[in-house]
Amino acid sequence: MGQAKELVSIGILFSTEGPYASLGREGYHGALTAIAEINETSDYPFALVPEIRDPKGQTENYASMCRELVENGNSRFVVGCTTSWSRKEVIPVLEKTGGQLWYPCPYEGFETNEHVVYLGTCANQHIVPLLDYVLARHGPNPMLIGSNYIWGWEVNRIARELIEQSSGHVVGERFVPLGDVDIAHLIEEIRASRPDFVLNVLVGPSSLAFVRAYHELAKEDPSFSPARRPIVSCNWTEAEVRELGAAAIGHLTTAPYFQSLPSDDNANFLAKLARFAPAIRDVSAYFAQAYSAVHMIARGMAASGGSNPRSILEHAMDNLYRGPLGPLRIAENTQHAFLAPKIGMARAEGGFEIIDNPNILLAPDPYLARQKSEKAFFSSGKTGRAAPYIRVIK
Amino acid sequence: MSPHTPNYQSWNALILHRPHEIVDAVSRQLLHFGIRAQTSWPELPTDFDPMTVNIIFFDGDMGYDAQFPWPEAYAPVPMIALIGSEAPGRVAWAIKQSADAHLLKPIGSGGVYSAVMIATEAHKRRVALNTEMAQNQFRLAHRECLAKATAHLMVSRDMTENEAYQALRVMAMSAQMSIESMAARILEHSPDDLKFGAAKRNDRA
Repeated sequence: MGQAKELVSIGILFSTEGPYASLGREGYHGALTAIAEINETSDYPFALVPEIRDPKGQTENYASMCRELVENGNSRFVVGCTTSWSRKEVIPVLEKTGGQLWYPCPYEGFETNEHVVYLGTCANQHIVPLLDYVLARHGPNPMLIGSNYIWGWEVNRIARELIEQSSGHVVGERFVPLGDVDIAHLIEEIRASRPDFVLNVLVGPSSLAFVRAYHELAKEDPSFSPARRPIVSCNWTEAEVRELGAAAIGHLTTAPYFQSLPSDDNANFLAKLARFAPAIRDVSAYFAQAYSAVHMIARGMAASGGSNPRSILEHAMDNLYRGPLGPLRIAENTQHAFLAPKIGMARAEGGFEIIDNPNILLAPDPYLARQKSEKAFFSSGKTGRAAPYIRVIK
Repeated sequence: MSPHTPNYQSWNALILHRPHEIVDAVSRQLLHFGIRAQTSWPELPTDFDPMTVNIIFFDGDMGYDAQFPWPEAYAPVPMIALIGSEAPGRVAWAIKQSADAHLLKPIGSGGVYSAVMIATEAHKRRVALNTEMAQNQFRLAHRECLAKATAHLMVSRDMTENEAYQALRVMAMSAQMSIESMAARILEHSPDDLKFGAAKRNDRA
């Protein structure tokens, strides 16, 4: 008793300013909330010391800041990055130093780096189930819009491939520079082409500006109401829904976590949130995944009695962590998480109503290697969701 | 037979990439075997001249369609893609820019030499294939013309098919032009091949 806990540094590398700051802030607060919680309990023989760097949305800052954390500092683990470009920037540093990045965001896939643990969804866990849901209900002829970088390009490319496989037709595809809010031309194109739905892969301020403008369009022409022609997304957050207010209502997104998730695991998490971060009202998958990352690292360290990244990863592969997302485990061959995507509809009181929750954990398939042979997957709703990449939650 | 050691002395490379450690790593490696590098981003340098640049390295991650003035598959020099994202959309874009080889980011202290060698050879083959294809398309387009000119000679000079073709070949050689061009010239100067058709019918009559 009374013996001081060992102090263990953990790197926090999120942009809380810049074009995707709203997502970065979720990760930042998620990680810090978990650290506060872990440090208060007596469950661990160590206390976590957050070493914080903020690249402010500037891609060129990521590598040097990661180096400060891992090479010059004492952190073997970094929780951070939002865009794929920033993740690609830190990977060389991790490879040189043996550091490990816990990446808590959805991304387009096509990467399995040994120094990265991927906690967000990849394409088979976001755009594939989202289109599976939407194509059957709203029609096969969407408009695709996205921010002009790899996330927008690749998600839209995969969407186009799936839509064409479903005998649909992409009525238009447009990209907007990251952070740009000048989207009037998109609305005019949508008004003219009348797509069945709009796939919105815009990020941050561009996405908010677009949803507001689309709302105005729907006021003028009710055939653009969300019930008829919804905006669907893979990267909307609860905080954005609150900021958008009435403009968001009825539009759809997919995520493996929603704040409204009716489960004991989530109730536990929300109770802790109220205690350790009472100022935070809205949390999204970005928050929950960064929060879970810190918990999984801490559990791995406690179980292995050290901070060897390989041992921590193996612990996360061999053990279920029950956090906000429910049971969470990392797949052995890809270092990505098994995740159970759901469809949420933005609601008037904020947040999302979960309108589709198959409650099945999809094994990560970052190269979409198992999708082509499963054509039924896209054609007839859930019936195609078959083994071997499904694990039922017990 | 052993291959020759390539000599890249006094070659000029153009690296189309934003300022980054990768650019420094590529430039450093290039210098080891005598290639000087110039950097530009996002556009080609205003004074870009394909006659003075021997090889181009380009960014597969942030590159975009209007970056190069030449049509797809017709890059005038060997092209090496610098690839970070392996998303199929980006890899396909690099292929569209006629990437002859690629290097995966991050780039350390090796890889550039073999990429230059592979790209140079692949580019040579690409140019040879394009040239051969253009020649074949030209021949195909002039096949009818060649047949008509041969037939014209057979009738007007009372030759067999072989004799007419040989005569055409000799004429083309002495005029230092392709046999197809000579055929076109003969038809130009003897435009009444319809008359020849009529003559043939008369013969039969």
